[in-house]
Amino acid sequence: MNLAWRNHVWALLVAFMFVAGGPASAEEKIYIVTSLPDLADIAARIGGDLVTVESLARGIEDPHGVPIKPSFVPKLNRAQVLIVMGLEYEHSWIPALVTESRNSKIVKGNNGYIDVSLKVTPKEVPTDLSRAKGELHPAGNPHFNLDPEAGRLIAQTIAEGLTLNFPQHRATFEANLKAFLSQLDAKIREWKIMARPLRGVRFVSYHQDITYFADRFGMEYVGTIELKPGIEPTAAHLVELVQTMKTEGVKVVVREPHFSEKVPSQIADQVGGQVVKLPIMVGGAPEVKTYFDLIEYNIRELLKAAQAAGVAGKA
Amino acid sequence: MRTQLKLRVFIGLIVLVCGIGGGAAGVLAQSSGAPAASEVENLKKQMAVMEEQLRQLRLQVEKLAGQPAAPGSAGQPAASTDESATQKRLNEVEGKADAALAATKKTFASQFNPSISLAIDTIGSYKSNAQGFNPGDGTGTRDAGGRINNTRPAGADFNLRTAELFISADVDPFTRAYAVINASADAANADEATLGVEEAAIVTTRLPYNLTVRGGRFFADFGMLPHRHTHDLPFVDRPPSIDTFIGGESQTNGVEVSWLAPTPFYLRASGTVGNKLGIDSRDGVSNVNSRPIKGLTYMGRLQTYFDFNDDHNIEFGGSVAETPNAEDITNSGRFERRLVGMDFRYRWYPLGSGVRQSLTVAGEVLHDLGEADPVNGGRRIDVFGNPVRQGAWGGYVYAEYRLSKQWRPGFRFDYFQLQSEPLLVTNPFTGLPASTLNATGHRTDNRTWSPYLTWFPSEFQRLRLQYNRSDRGNAQDANEFFLQWTVFLGSHSHGFSERE
Repeated sequence: MNLAWRNHVWALLVAFMFVAGGPASAEEKIYIVTSLPDLADIAARIGGDLVTVESLARGIEDPHGVPIKPSFVPKLNRAQVLIVMGLEYEHSWIPALVTESRNSKIVKGNNGYIDVSLKVTPKEVPTDLSRAKGELHPAGNPHFNLDPEAGRLIAQTIAEGLTLNFPQHRATFEANLKAFLSQLDAKIREWKIMARPLRGVRFVSYHQDITYFADRFGMEYVGTIELKPGIEPTAAHLVELVQTMKTEGVKVVVREPHFSEKVPSQIADQVGGQVVKLPIMVGGAPEVKTYFDLIEYNIRELLKAAQAAGVAGKA
Repeated sequence: MRTQLKLRVFIGLIVLVCGIGGGAAGVLAQSSGAPAASEVENLKKQMAVMEEQLRQLRLQVEKLAGQPAAPGSAGQPAASTDESATQKRLNEVEGKADAALAATKKTFASQFNPSISLAIDTIGSYKSNAQGFNPGDGTGTRDAGGRINNTRPAGADFNLRTAELFISADVDPFTRAYAVINASADAANADEATLGVEEAAIVTTRLPYNLTVRGGRFFADFGMLPHRHTHDLPFVDRPPSIDTFIGGESQTNGVEVSWLAPTPFYLRASGTVGNKLGIDSRDGVSNVNSRPIKGLTYMGRLQTYFDFNDDHNIEFGGSVAETPNAEDITNSGRFERRLVGMDFRYRWYPLGSGVRQSLTVAGEVLHDLGEADPVNGGRRIDVFGNPVRQGAWGGYVYAEYRLSKQWRPGFRFDYFQLQSEPLLVTNPFTGLPASTLNATGHRTDNRTWSPYLTWFPSEFQRLRLQYNRSDRGNAQDANEFFLQWTVFLGSHSHGFSERE
């Protein structure tokens, strides 16, 4: 008589198996899961009609603190390909989810795991790995998506990765890549002209995530509001930062959407500068729907801020 | 080219002369005993002069190499000189690159070392009352108190609760393994740290049909918080209800099979067979006598999760643990232990700002409905010595609000019923001992209210203040203050089951 409940549990499990078995195999398009939305946008361009792409994180999230939602697990379980930024960008959530998804195809090192940092030369690779330096990324700064030239490398890596997994679609991927790159190249030429007044503009940001963008367009990093990567500022640090900004005439404060507005505004007020809210991923602002939008939006917003603060250079 | 050659010959000659000179000097020095200081000085001066000459010559060579050959000279064409310089530099660079590459090719036996992390969890506390939730029978042999509080002295106390080593790595393409080795101060042994293997388990990595098998010693998949290590809990102490009903962490030695349903939503099921449930469990864990198959503990859990939208989500789980025929260590008999649990967790985590503002409300209910006495261990009997099946309820609910990335206040309420020793109760109508009344149990209610505040200076460091106000059914009420300081060294990545 004590076994009755056990029978019920098994009956329930078997029932679920039948219910669940159906839809999983009915998929025709290649199902791609990406960690971040930028990768989803580019992968959709490369895959074209052959693929369905879904990003786990949204553009407004803190990419380092994406919550481990169990609803991600079935998605990863069904994924034929997982595309990640790499350089330990997603270390706090992707590895745990991949393990739980029980999908050996997308385990790091297997073909289904596409790491788009492979062709990128990482910047700010720490020479001294100590947690005293904050929450460091041992392989270097992972925010390379903000450099459009890196966008080219991302697209190439995705195309190669997809070809490796689905060699029968090589021609499509290559054609789509070519189209994407020629559009990107044209855009880059445009952006370089557009961003000329940003050359030499000095700025601070909340987190050290604008490096690649700044280097590409000739801007100069002066410091971060965070004490160290991932570590909230102390009062002394903020005083010092404001002092440095005053001495060096820094007027632009970059705030990423997932950080609070309070501290950046206070700093901007103290130095008589401008706060500019810059998305660091696609979807980080309502207007930013594609990777191209992201770069263009950031250039425009920075131009506006630099002009308002009177630090913009000549066009 | 020829000029260079000439120069090289010249330099070679100088070097040769120096060498012979030096050698001769050495021989001289040997034959005449210790050389006079002035001689050495002279030699040094000569060397310095020669070095200077060499340097000059080298400069000249470089200059010549850089110049185009004079028109009509018998030398090689200028381009070729350039080429050879470039070639030389190229060789140098290649040499350096090769050396650097070779340096990276070193192999160490330690390269395959597993990833290691260490958690240090230390607690300062003040407790008004040493007594646990149950005074026990006073003999000490069946001391029944809430296990958390009775292991430490009353009053002021500092406790190194945990120095926990976590080691993990892939074993091969098919399995990974991990171990958690914990040392904690043992109050009974002059606070000397005693080492224990909390977990040491092997986990499969590529079984088909979404299956995973885990074997060894591990914290069984039962409930929401029971399988968390104490330092990983959202509170300082383990909720008294689960601590009483399960007995510390949900440790078992056994095998677990878990399955992820191929559903569009998250659904996971697991089944476990093990020696016991609960790290401090005294139910059926005697390894002296032969254990029948029914003397093992069988556990099952089903859990699921739903997103209401991007910002709100909820998780449900149900667990069962059954020991059909556990050994009663104390009374050398056999009894049935059954524990049923339900848990939920609601989370409001706005996508854009969840890192610095979010809310978690979660709780767990346990129902003990076997013959086992969850507190005293062993079988529950009435005054006549007959086995008693009693249902006792316990559980907790907590809410935690994230004020910023660093500050998280929270509040926990815990309640559980305690099965006290059956007392001789007289039926008021018949005047006879009322066993039926005993059978329904002399439950005593225990309630604990716990406000707490956690501060995270960084992801790897945490300080927590907690106050427990306990109303205990058959023991003195207690006030407890805790200050917990926890750090994590090494690779501290959260697994799926330890997710926030």
